Amino acid sequence: MSLTRRAFLHSSLLVTGGLLLGCTSNSPRILSSPKEAANELGLWLRIGSDNRIGFVVPSVEMGQGVTTSMPTILAEELDVEPGQIDIVLASVHKAYRQQGMFTQGTGGSTSIVKWWEPLSKTGAAARSMLVQAAADRWQVPPNECQTQAGQVLHVDSERKLSYGELAEAASKLQVPEDPPRKDPSKYRLVGQPLKRLDGLAKVTGQAQFGIDVKVPGMLYATVRQSPVFEGEILRYDESSALAVKGVVKVVEILNGVAVVAEKFWQAKKGADALRIEFSGGKSQGLDDQQLEQQLTEALDNLGKTEISGEQTLDVEYFLPYLAHATMEPMNCTADVRADRCEVWVPTQFPEVVRDKAAEITGLEPEQVTVHTTYLGGGFGRRGWDFAIQAVQASKAVGRPVKLIWTREEDTQHDFYRPAYKSRLQVQLGEDGFPSSWNHQLAGPSAISEFAWQLVDTRAVGSVLKWIDWDVTSTEGTQLPYTIPEHEMDYEVVEPGIRVGFWRSVGNSHNAFTVESVLDEAANLAGRDPLEYRLALLNDQPRHRTVLERAAKEAGWGAELPEGHARGIALHESFKSIVAQVVEVSVDAGTVRVHKVHCAIDCGRYVNPNIIRQQLEGAVVFGLSAALYEQISLKDGAVANSNFHDYRVARLSESPEVFVSIIENDEAPGGVGEPGVPPIAPALCNAIYAATGKRIRRLPVATQLI
Amino acid sequence: MKKTLRINQTAIELDLEPDTPLLWVLRDEAGLTGTKFGCGIAQCGACTVHLDGKPVRSCSLPFEAVPENAEIRTIEGLGQSRLHPVQQAWLEEQVPQCGYCQSGQLMAAAALLQDNPQPTDSQIDQAMSNICRCGTYPRIRKAIRRAAELQTQEA
Repeated sequence: MSLTRRAFLHSSLLVTGGLLLGCTSNSPRILSSPKEAANELGLWLRIGSDNRIGFVVPSVEMGQGVTTSMPTILAEELDVEPGQIDIVLASVHKAYRQQGMFTQGTGGSTSIVKWWEPLSKTGAAARSMLVQAAADRWQVPPNECQTQAGQVLHVDSERKLSYGELAEAASKLQVPEDPPRKDPSKYRLVGQPLKRLDGLAKVTGQAQFGIDVKVPGMLYATVRQSPVFEGEILRYDESSALAVKGVVKVVEILNGVAVVAEKFWQAKKGADALRIEFSGGKSQGLDDQQLEQQLTEALDNLGKTEISGEQTLDVEYFLPYLAHATMEPMNCTADVRADRCEVWVPTQFPEVVRDKAAEITGLEPEQVTVHTTYLGGGFGRRGWDFAIQAVQASKAVGRPVKLIWTREEDTQHDFYRPAYKSRLQVQLGEDGFPSSWNHQLAGPSAISEFAWQLVDTRAVGSVLKWIDWDVTSTEGTQLPYTIPEHEMDYEVVEPGIRVGFWRSVGNSHNAFTVESVLDEAANLAGRDPLEYRLALLNDQPRHRTVLERAAKEAGWGAELPEGHARGIALHESFKSIVAQVVEVSVDAGTVRVHKVHCAIDCGRYVNPNIIRQQLEGAVVFGLSAALYEQISLKDGAVANSNFHDYRVARLSESPEVFVSIIENDEAPGGVGEPGVPPIAPALCNAIYAATGKRIRRLPVATQLI
Repeated sequence: MKKTLRINQTAIELDLEPDTPLLWVLRDEAGLTGTKFGCGIAQCGACTVHLDGKPVRSCSLPFEAVPENAEIRTIEGLGQSRLHPVQQAWLEEQVPQCGYCQSGQLMAAAALLQDNPQPTDSQIDQAMSNICRCGTYPRIRKAIRRAAELQTQEA
């Protein structure tokens, strides 16, 4: 796939009168059927004669604000108010694939990074065509026309026409290849802290999540899956489940069985009553101790360098498996018919869902329609395993089925953030700064599962290479600091636990290790951790600025209440740089996080309100993991089952969070994930400052302080 | 078993298995999907509704235990004619991200403010035990303080 391919704009006339506009990497398309809506055509923008403006959002909304930020980009160039735009969540079409992506998906903090330009161009082209249509009507030069709030104005003659009145005429015009764009200094919307467009729906209970989908005649299902990963069904007695009122059928599905019933509660009772046994599985017998032994052996395989002297560090760090624990449990609704299949699914990867559904049903991908809904949290979890199950269940019963996992199934069948162990050997030079830095990492390949699951889909070609090219486990080991000798080695370990992407992926664990060790180095050298970092960032002006900003906002060095201490960390990920200063106190072994100051450089940005939300959220999400979260293994299965034994942070444990955004004109960076990586090391560096105890294993709650 | 429940001031006749949790009565029988399923064991609070004005976790309250003449209020009934002060404050402070847990958070906050119109920070901490994975807690705190102000102004 060429990265330099050009984006073509194309337009079509709506049968009802109006303008449809799209931007794809392919040849311009012609409206083939008047019944087709913009969504199926891979178009983005619809301006109806009724003045309604419809916009297809190509990314899924999982809290990161794309249903606000993306229409804002479009509205800025089109000169309408974001509130005038009706949001349509994209179905599957190759036009909604990000440039360079092998499948249609939302992840990697890329929505703004990748879509800003095409959306801005679409808005500008539509505006330009509407202006031309008005100029033609009025017989005036286009440059005498202005646009405002969905209207074209001719000031001299005090004439105006709404976009709706112009849409049909505009749709017959040639789409400009390089439409004029607004000067950024004239932006009214981009860069402003606009309120979210999904706010009202989300405070009134009206927002439709996957779990809320209702299809006429639908049944409900819930699942029982092999506790050991990839275990097979040994035997089950379905009579006990079928004896439960309302239970219709027990269906074998991917990883286990689905109990299908008239109501969800009946399906749940049926599943509880079902006697089922599984056998085998690739994680058979595994427990926490064995896991750690495997990681340690892998590190030993890499070979330990002899390092000695007073100015050296030789330390090991460990991080556990983590669950995503999205608030909305995995679910999917499927309706399989002889000649078509419809799927309603909260997923980050709708195109894979479509292809898997086609495979299961024997239908062509074009006969499968995927409706994406709002996602009740994503964090990298929402793929397609549960969608496969729903399609299988609907196919088996010949009716629409809404399949919902219990929290227990969700906790025990996640695609976990892998556990990792690192060995760091650092030599300080005479100046007290690291002269050599040797990082050895052992743990599962985060991308392996994902890649192998796609091998039998259309994405195969581009995915296979990922297996040998696993940046997802090692990203974040690179340092922005000037260190003469830097070595990094990675040994893949495969304990058999299902793994995947967890908000900030490799950065989530590597940042903890490297930013903690850098702090250790500063302490060994007897230097202030901030001053030490700054001294190593002479060649990195953006990193310096971010670090200095966070420190300044936090009052680094200023006096604190008795028993309080600060820690700092810096990390670049997803094209953005984030620094955080954490203020803690530790009382009788209990850590209390009081304040977190964040600074972010994400280049040019769209909505500072959403950036603040994402940074605050990332702080809480990362703190929750660092303080409490750990998936424990017993007999090859996950021992945790629900929120009582997979503890996550609650409001009473949440700090005050302050966010400062660096203003510059750099290329846009990601926002959803970069706030996560620095929080664990900043927290543990603060705990060290408060107590003298260095935390080298997470979660903190399991460590005696 | 047969029973009539009063949900958002509307009487609904139901004939259900007695152990059906109120959550699924609301979602699957009354069609009120604003109340969410999160954990099923009264841990996360996504299913919080009001029973005679008190917050309850509906995932763990069986149909048979719901008093017949009790007034049940869900998120759909919270601000029926106009937004409730907590909803206004949630919008002002821009609380929701994914939004999934927010119905439960709002119901918990509304119950807190009804009971205690001027809660202290530690009272907010105690009352608000609902889980949010997007990490909206700092904004929820601010929004509750703001809602307390709005409520006072309205009174």
